[in-house]
Amino acid sequence: MRQTSLLPALGGLAVIGLLIAAPLGLPAFAMTLLTELLILGLFAMSLDLMVGYTNLVSFGHAAAYGLGAYASGYLALNSSLPLPLVVLLAGLLTGFVAIGVGWVCTLATGVSFSMLTLAFAQLMYAIAFKWTAVTGGSDGLAGIPRRPGPFGMTVLTTKTGFYYFALASLLGAYFACRQLVSSPFGAVLRGIRENEPKTSVLGYNTRLYKIAAVAIAYGLGGLAGALYAPFAGFANTELLFWLLSGQVLIMVIVGGQGTLIGPILGAAFFMLLEHQLSSYTEAWALFFGLIFIAFVLFAPEGIWGLARRAFSRASLTETRHG
Amino acid sequence: MSTLAFLLTQGVNALSQAALLFFLGVGLTLIFGIMRIVNFAHGTLYMLGAFIGYSLVRSTGSFWVALALAPLAVGAIGTGFELSILRRLYKRDAHAFLMVTFGLALVTGEVVRLIWGSDALQVPPPALLSGVVFLLDEPFPTYRLFLVGFGIVVALGIWQLLERTRAGLLIRATSQNAEMVRALGIDVNLVRSGVFGIGCGLAALGGVLAAPLVTASNGMAATAVIDAFVIVIIGGMGSFLGSLIGALLVAFVQVFGNYYLPDFALAFMYLVMLLVLVVRPGGLLGKEA
Repeated sequence: MRQTSLLPALGGLAVIGLLIAAPLGLPAFAMTLLTELLILGLFAMSLDLMVGYTNLVSFGHAAAYGLGAYASGYLALNSSLPLPLVVLLAGLLTGFVAIGVGWVCTLATGVSFSMLTLAFAQLMYAIAFKWTAVTGGSDGLAGIPRRPGPFGMTVLTTKTGFYYFALASLLGAYFACRQLVSSPFGAVLRGIRENEPKTSVLGYNTRLYKIAAVAIAYGLGGLAGALYAPFAGFANTELLFWLLSGQVLIMVIVGGQGTLIGPILGAAFFMLLEHQLSSYTEAWALFFGLIFIAFVLFAPEGIWGLARRAFSRASLTETRHG
Repeated sequence: MSTLAFLLTQGVNALSQAALLFFLGVGLTLIFGIMRIVNFAHGTLYMLGAFIGYSLVRSTGSFWVALALAPLAVGAIGTGFELSILRRLYKRDAHAFLMVTFGLALVTGEVVRLIWGSDALQVPPPALLSGVVFLLDEPFPTYRLFLVGFGIVVALGIWQLLERTRAGLLIRATSQNAEMVRALGIDVNLVRSGVFGIGCGLAALGGVLAAPLVTASNGMAATAVIDAFVIVIIGGMGSFLGSLIGALLVAFVQVFGNYYLPDFALAFMYLVMLLVLVVRPGGLLGKEA
């Protein structure tokens, strides 16, 4: 029994080891893809805190990503702050704004909550479109630099350095989230997911917990967006568009909600599939759509669920034979 | 132009816009009322209607044939989708619907691009309606006036269908309590297939009618679906009258906002939606909070 509980930890360490070693063996274009994947994984994982752990289904998580991206782009263009500080500040700002967003959205529950998050995201989209002085309007912000520092360090601003920065952000966020969901705070969130009235009767101010969950999820989503802007060199209104909100929600569900690791895999699946299909065929969206539909019909528990089932089946047969 | 004439032409203009938005919104709200599905494919079905309409106008030479047949074709596609895929998912959670309708949107969007290409296609309005009429001595496109009339006719038709017919009774009953309707020996699945088809057909009707104004293009789906969401959210998910009020409100905000405060019109629309939701989380006429 001890061995089986050690195995996932060993597997996790192996994956982290591979990710750390990746720049040694992978060509440049693959590193670009992998960096984007880490950023998108962080974005999807942040939404899982709301969707998977608290049953707050947001239709507007692009608001977090876009706000983070615009904030970090604006700071990088209009100040000489070093890259890590820019990213951190943009993430904090997003989390701070989300306290207000969460306060309003948690007035409602269920579908209405989803719709309120969508309304906020679309409002930000509309503002980004028109507030040209700050956001660049429909052109967006272009030529976003990665400024060296602190203390003139350039180690994070190179291509490989930025990859490690993204990897460290994702890993840091992942372990922080794992701590969070297994803490008493996380237990209350799960209580809200399973039965909010009951949790409320037990004496918890569930609304406050939900606002906190929204703020943390938006903050981490903002961190992902804040990484994306200096990665891509631009930020535009697409990052706030409802389509992205739909996509990230699907990454969470395809990957397996309420598992943290699942949504990261979902993001990877989404991106790699898009990348592979678009290199084979012009009509990649067609197959993309068909694969989604097939997923819902035949694999409702998501990628991580499938993997876990396959894994437990394999270890069962092992113990039987061994 | 006198102020009165200006208000009249812009008002009628907003009404014609409201008619188009109503076709979009009422389909979405009917589907939600019956099935608790947020149909992400609604915008692409609207677009599909516009493109099928374009081809029918080209091949038959008649706008009216296109207006009659395109919604039927899209309605049949919707019913087929319900029968083959949605039907298997009623016992599952709402996420499943989100994903399959998102998948359907991707597939439909791509099929449209493969068949009709990426260029915007002009659809001429029927000859009868291509001129202008004079409202208080101001010229106004006849086609837009026709849209207002047609919108009123369709709205009255749907209202009568819901209130006066047995099918309408079943639709309203199913949206209130599907289990009870089933217990009374009614085939609820049949109601669902029918309503999903009708909802998709109404979206396509909006698409055909919008095509002479805005051309049929690949970009029309993404804006249409969000407009439809806004209308339904403001009016209340599942409420017929709500979708009518929502369409009117959004159309007037869009038309007059674009005239007086072009920079804020879009933001203003979402602000209205937020305010409505904060005051009444279920929408103006919605049941649930």
